[in-house]
Amino acid sequence: MPPLTSLPARSPEFAEGADVWPPDLDRRGFLGLMGASLALGGLAGCRAAKTLVPYTHQPDSVVPGLPSFYASACPCEGFARGILVEAHEGRPTKIEGNPRHAESGGAADAVTQAAILALYDPDRSQAPLHQGRPASWPEFESAWREEDRRLAPVGGAGLALLTEPTTSPTVRAGLHRLLDRFPRARWFQHTALARYDAEGFQPDYDLAEADVILAIEGGFLDRHPAALRYTRAFAGRRRVEKGAVRANRLYALESAWSLAGAMADRRLAAPPARLPAILNAVATAWSREPLPETLDREERAFVTALTADLRRPGRKVLCIAGDEQPAAIRRWAQRLNQVLGAVGKTIRYRAAVRSDGDPRSAGDLGALADAIARGEISALAILGANPVYTGPADVEFAARLARVPFTLHLGGYADETAAAVRWHLPESHFLEAWSDLRGYDGSAVIQQPLIDPLYDTRSLGEVLRLLAGDPPLSGYDLVRATWRARLGADDFDGHWTRWLNAGVVDGENTPTANPEPAEAEEPVPYLDPEPAAALTLVLRPDPWLGDGRHANNGWLQELPRPFTALVWDNALLISPQLGREQRLENGDLVRVECEGRVVEAPVWLVPGQAEGCAVAHWGGGRTRAGAVGSGRGFDAFRLQSRSGRARGLKLTATGRKTRLASTQHQFAMDGRDPVQTFALRDLGRLRPEQPAISLYPARARDTYAWGMSIDLSTCIGCSACVAACQAENNIPVVGKEQVLRGRVMHWIRVDTYFAGEPGAERCHSQPVPCMQCENAPCELVCPVGATVHSSEGLNEMVYNRCVGTRYCSNNCPYKVRRFNFFDFRAAADSILHLQDNPEVTVRQRGVMEKCTYCVQRINRARSEAERDNRPIRDGEIRTACQQACPAEAIVFGNVADPASAVAQRKAEPSSYSLLAELNTRPRTTYLAKMINPA
Amino acid sequence: MSAHPPSPEAIVDPTATLTSVTETVSGPILHPPWPRLWLAGFAGAFVVTLGLFAAIGWLFIRGVGIWGINIPVAWGFAIVNFVWWIGIGHAGTFISAILLLLHQTWRTSINRFTEAMTLFAVACAALYPVLHLGRPIYAYWLLPYPDTMGLWPQFRSPLVWDVFAVSTYATVSLVYWYVGLLPDLATMRDRAASTVGRRGYGILALGWRGDARHWAHHEKLYLILAGLATPLVVSVHSIVGMDFAIAILPGWHSTIFPPYFVGGAIFSGFAMVLTLVIPVRALFRMEGLITLRHLELMALVVLTTGWIVTYGYFSEFFTAWWSGDEFERFVQANRALGPYAPAFWLMLTCNVLIPNLFWSRRLRRSVPVLFGVAILVNVGMWLERFVIVVTSLHRDFVPSSWGMYIPTFWDWSTFIGTIGFFLALLFLFLRLLPAISMSEMRGLVIKAKESGE
Repeated sequence: MPPLTSLPARSPEFAEGADVWPPDLDRRGFLGLMGASLALGGLAGCRAAKTLVPYTHQPDSVVPGLPSFYASACPCEGFARGILVEAHEGRPTKIEGNPRHAESGGAADAVTQAAILALYDPDRSQAPLHQGRPASWPEFESAWREEDRRLAPVGGAGLALLTEPTTSPTVRAGLHRLLDRFPRARWFQHTALARYDAEGFQPDYDLAEADVILAIEGGFLDRHPAALRYTRAFAGRRRVEKGAVRANRLYALESAWSLAGAMADRRLAAPPARLPAILNAVATAWSREPLPETLDREERAFVTALTADLRRPGRKVLCIAGDEQPAAIRRWAQRLNQVLGAVGKTIRYRAAVRSDGDPRSAGDLGALADAIARGEISALAILGANPVYTGPADVEFAARLARVPFTLHLGGYADETAAAVRWHLPESHFLEAWSDLRGYDGSAVIQQPLIDPLYDTRSLGEVLRLLAGDPPLSGYDLVRATWRARLGADDFDGHWTRWLNAGVVDGENTPTANPEPAEAEEPVPYLDPEPAAALTLVLRPDPWLGDGRHANNGWLQELPRPFTALVWDNALLISPQLGREQRLENGDLVRVECEGRVVEAPVWLVPGQAEGCAVAHWGGGRTRAGAVGSGRGFDAFRLQSRSGRARGLKLTATGRKTRLASTQHQFAMDGRDPVQTFALRDLGRLRPEQPAISLYPARARDTYAWGMSIDLSTCIGCSACVAACQAENNIPVVGKEQVLRGRVMHWIRVDTYFAGEPGAERCHSQPVPCMQCENAPCELVCPVGATVHSSEGLNEMVYNRCVGTRYCSNNCPYKVRRFNFFDFRAAADSILHLQDNPEVTVRQRGVMEKCTYCVQRINRARSEAERDNRPIRDGEIRTACQQACPAEAIVFGNVADPASAVAQRKAEPSSYSLLAELNTRPRTTYLAKMINPA
Repeated sequence: MSAHPPSPEAIVDPTATLTSVTETVSGPILHPPWPRLWLAGFAGAFVVTLGLFAAIGWLFIRGVGIWGINIPVAWGFAIVNFVWWIGIGHAGTFISAILLLLHQTWRTSINRFTEAMTLFAVACAALYPVLHLGRPIYAYWLLPYPDTMGLWPQFRSPLVWDVFAVSTYATVSLVYWYVGLLPDLATMRDRAASTVGRRGYGILALGWRGDARHWAHHEKLYLILAGLATPLVVSVHSIVGMDFAIAILPGWHSTIFPPYFVGGAIFSGFAMVLTLVIPVRALFRMEGLITLRHLELMALVVLTTGWIVTYGYFSEFFTAWWSGDEFERFVQANRALGPYAPAFWLMLTCNVLIPNLFWSRRLRRSVPVLFGVAILVNVGMWLERFVIVVTSLHRDFVPSSWGMYIPTFWDWSTFIGTIGFFLALLFLFLRLLPAISMSEMRGLVIKAKESGE
C-alpha cells in the first residue's frame, strides 16, 4: 500500500531529540518534573485575560476587511528587492513588488513571493539553543560576557566572524563597530552564490538599448539581483505592439538552459570545455581571420552569424558573461564590450554595492578554514550563513568547526551549522525586523517589519550590537541612527516617513564608476584552451532554493523548475544523447564521481543541453532544513571544490532507480501547436484569427467582459505568476507523493516545450491559466450547476455546490481544473493559516477548483468603483499573475472596451486562441512568440 | 435471432413432471443440509464483501485520493466498473422482457436467475457513481427535489440523465422480478416446514392464493411490465453511452456510442449469465431445467452481439481516420500503440476474436468452452470500458497535461469487493428464493405434455 499522504507530520511531539532520555535525570527528578508540569498545567487556565482587549478606538490605519500595504525590502543574495506587503488586520499575507523601486518595478519573482510562507514556517528556530538544548537569550548573554572578558584584553585576537556579504548600511556599520571593539578580530564572508563585483565593480546592463546581445552562460534573466529590471527592459524589446517591434537579437552560448537561452534567437549549446575555443573563434572572426578547423559545423555557423551581426553598423551591442563564470571569461566579455564600444551605452559599471570587497574583510570560507587549521581561531561567530552545508566539500568545514572552542550561529533555522556549534541563536525573519538594504543599482530601501517577531528572535543588527557589548538598542533605533547620521540634516522624521511610505530612500544611488582600463593591443584576450574533457560538471544554484536556504519552503519545493518541471528533488541534468550513450533514463541513480568526490544522484534528461556536461543544482540533500526540506534530493555541494573547477566527471549507473516528481511528462508538442511562433520578417504577413462560426447566437456581453492576453514573445518562463497565484488564492502544497500521482494544485502552470532538431532546440514557455471559455465545456457537464457562467464572462466555480464528479475536468480541453483529492488544507490550528488570504475560500476535500481571474480583486475594484459612482477603470484590476510578471507579458481587463489595453493586445495580428478549432472561445488568448533570426 | 429454436432438442427434460419441477427447484432451499460448496462460496464472497465495506470506509475517511485518479485522468476504476456492472445488468431484463414479448419460451428456466443477476449487478453499479463523488454526502443534489434555494440539477448534464435512467431501470427491474416471484413465493410458503419460513414467505407472497382472478391480474401486469422494461434495456445503456458521447474529448465524443454501448451491454450480460448459470446448474443439479440448448442459444446471442461490438470498434477507428481530425486519430493510435496498448489488444482478442469460436456447433455445445469464452468476454468488456475511460483521458489535447493512471490497492479492492458483494447476494438468492420460476416451468411441462400427447 502506498503512503497515504506525504504531507509531513509537523507535530511538536516529535521534535528533534525529544526521544532522548537526558542522562542526568533520575527517578526522583522525573517525578519532580512531572509533578511540577501537572501543577503548571493547571495554572495555565489562570492566564489573565488582559491581553485580549479588543479595539475600543479603531486605529486610523486599519479598516477591518480592507488590506493595508506596507513598503519594505526583501533580501535577495544580500541585495534589496523593493516590496509591498499586504497585511490584513496586522497579519502579513502576501508580498508584491514595489512599483516605485527600480529593482522591482512592481514585479516580484517566485522566491521573493514565497518568503511570506517562510515567515509562518513552523520549523523556524524559535529559541536559542545551547549545544542542542533549548536555552534563553540571557543565558547566551552571560556566556558571551565571559567570552568577552577573555577576548577584550587581547583585542579580540582569535575571534572570527563569518557573515554573508551584505548591502545593509546598518549591518555593515555594526560589523565595523564590532571590529573596532576587537581590532584583532577577523571578518570572513561566505556565499556559495555568485559575486557580482569580481573585477572590483559591478557591470550593469541596459537591455532596453542593446540591439545585439551575446549571453555567455548568461543568467541575466534568472537569479540575478537585477533580473526583474533586466527582464522588464528585455521584454520591452520583444513586445509586438500595433504590429511593430524594435526587436533585439539575442545570441546565447551556454552549456545548459538558462531563461535567457530559452529566449535566444540563436543558441549554441556547448560544454564549458568548448567555451574558450568558441570565444577565441569569435575574436578571430572579428579580426577577419579564417576560423580554426577545430570548430564543428554548428559552432562555425554560430560564430559567423554572431560576428556578422556584431559588425553591422549602427547596432548597439552587448556581451554578458554569467556571474558564475571563471574570471578569464568574464574579463574576455568585459574587453569585448570595450572593443565594441558598448561601455557607457549598453553597459555601465557601478561601484560594488555589496560588502564582498570590503577592505576590512579578511577573506572567504576557505581562508577561515585555513586560519582554523592553523589554530588561530578560538571563537567563531557565524552570522546568517550555513557554511556546514554550503561549504565546498574539500574545505571540510564541519570538521574544522569542531576545533574551535567557542562557536555561535545566528540563523532563521536550526540548520546543519546550528547543529555543529555551541550556541545557536534564532534570527528574525526579514518581515519581523528593522533593517536597510541596497538594490543592485545602489538604491537604498528601509526594511520595515510588518509584524512583531513571532518567536524569541533577534535581527542581525541587534546581535552585532550585543556582541560588541554596546547597550542594547532596538532595530528601529539602530536603523534610524544609521540614516540620521547619513542624512545629517534636519527634518529627519519627515524624510524617514517619506522613505517608509515610498519604500525607497531618495537620492541614494551609487554613482557609476568608470573603470575603463588602458586600451590593450589585443582586441580581446586569448583564452587558454581547456583540455578536452569527456564530461564536465556544472554546479549551479537551484532556481528556487538557491544554495538551499529556501529548502523548507513548500511553495518553492513544489514550484516546477524551468526546463524539467521537477519538484521536491534535484537531479543530475544530462543531455538525451549522453543518456542514450550511457543507457540512462529519467530517475536512474548514478554514482557521480568528480576528482575523488562522490555522490549518488538520479539523472534527468534535458533536450537541448550540451552533451559534454552534467548539471547539478545545489539545495538538495539538506539534513536539517526542517520537515519540508530535509532529505530532498542530493547534496551537490559534496561535489564542489574550493577552486570551483570540476573536470573529469565520471558517471556510473548503479542499476537502481528513484522516482522523480515532475509536473509535466511530455515536452514535445507532438505535431500540435499550443505555442505558435513566427519569425520577425513574417510579422507583416500575419492575419488575425477568424472567430469560429456557430449555429447559436453569440452570448450577449455586459458592460464588462473580462479577458486576458498572454504574450509569449515576452514570457521568459520564470514562474513568478505561479507563485503569485499560490499566495493570492490559498493554493495548497500537496507533497511529492501527490505530485507523482498527478495532483499538483497550481491554478496557473507554465508549460515547457522543446521544439526543433536535436542540436538546435528551442524552448518555449507558455503560462496556462483557466481560459474562461465563452462556450465552456465544463459548464455543460456539471450535474449540479456548480460551475456556471457569469454575465461578465467569468467561468465561475461554486465550491459550496460542487459534489465532485470531476466531469468538468475531463471535459476541459486545457486541463486547467484542479481537484481536492484529499483534504489538502493545513491543520485547523496550523500557524500557516495566518498566511491565508481572507478574501479567498479555503477549499475543502472533494471539490473542484481553478483560476478565477482573481475574482476577489475584480469585486474589490467593483465595490470601489460603485462607491465612487464611476465605471471600473482600465488597469485598475490586476490579477495576481499579471502583477507579479516582470515581463508584463500578462494583460487583463475588459475586452468589451475596445480602448482597453487587453482589447488592444487581442487586436494584434499575432493573437491566437489555444485550440481555437474547438470553438470554446477562450477569453484568455495568446500572442504568438516572435523569433528574430538573422 | 431466430424465432424457431435452432435445434430440435426439447427445452424441458421430457421426464419432468409438475411435482419434479417443484421438488427440483424448492427442494434444495427447504431441505437442509445446505451443500458444503454453497457454504464455502458464500463465506468466501462474504469475506470479500467485508473487504468492500472496509474499502468504502477508508474512502469516506480519506477521500477519493486513495484511488489512482488524477488530473488528467479524473475518472478511473469507479466509472469503468460502473459501466461494466450496468452492462452486465442488461441481460436479465433482455431475457425476461424482450424474449417474453417475442415468445421465446426457452427463456423460462433462466429468466428468474438472470433478473436476480440484473438486480445485483445494478446494485453494484449504483454504488460507484456515489462513491466516486468528491463529496458523496451530497449525492442527493443530483435529484430534482424542491429545496428552499430553488436549486435544481443541471439538466444539460448527462450525469443527471444517468440518475434517472439507472434509478428507473432498477425500480422497474425490481418490480418486474418481484411480481414474477409472487406465485412461487406462495408455493414456498405452502411447502415451508418451519414457522419462520411460512411467515417470511407468507408476508412476501402478499396473500397469493392461486385464485383465477390473481392469475388474470398477474399475467396482465407481467406483460405490461415487460412492455415497460423493454425500452429501458435500450435507454439505460444509451444514456450511459451519452455520459461519454456528450463530452468534447476525442475517444468519447462519438455518435456511435449509444447503440454500441447497448450492444456491448447485452454481450457482456449474456456472458455473465453463462458464467453464472454453468456452475449453478451443476451445483444444484438443474441440468434438466437449464439444458444444453439454453446454453447454446445464449452462445448465439454472445456471437451476434460480439459482432455488433466489433462493428462499434471498426466504426470508431474508421470515423477517426475519416474525420481527418488529428486529435481523434491520435487517440486511436495511442490506444493501439501507447502505454495502455496491452489492454487494448487484450480487449480486441477477448471481444472480437474469441466469440467467433461459437461459429462451431461442437464448441458452443461444450460446457468448458462456453464457460471459458464467457469469462474471457467478461474480461474483454471490462477492458473495453477501461480503454474508453482511461486512454481517452490520459492523453488529450494539450501535450503538457498528459499523464498516466495507475490503479492503487484501493481501486482494486473496491472492484474485487463489488464482485464479492455481487456473489454474496447471488448466494443468498440461491439459498432463499426459487432460482427458477416454478409456476412458469409447470406451464411449460403441461404444454410439453399436451403437445407430446
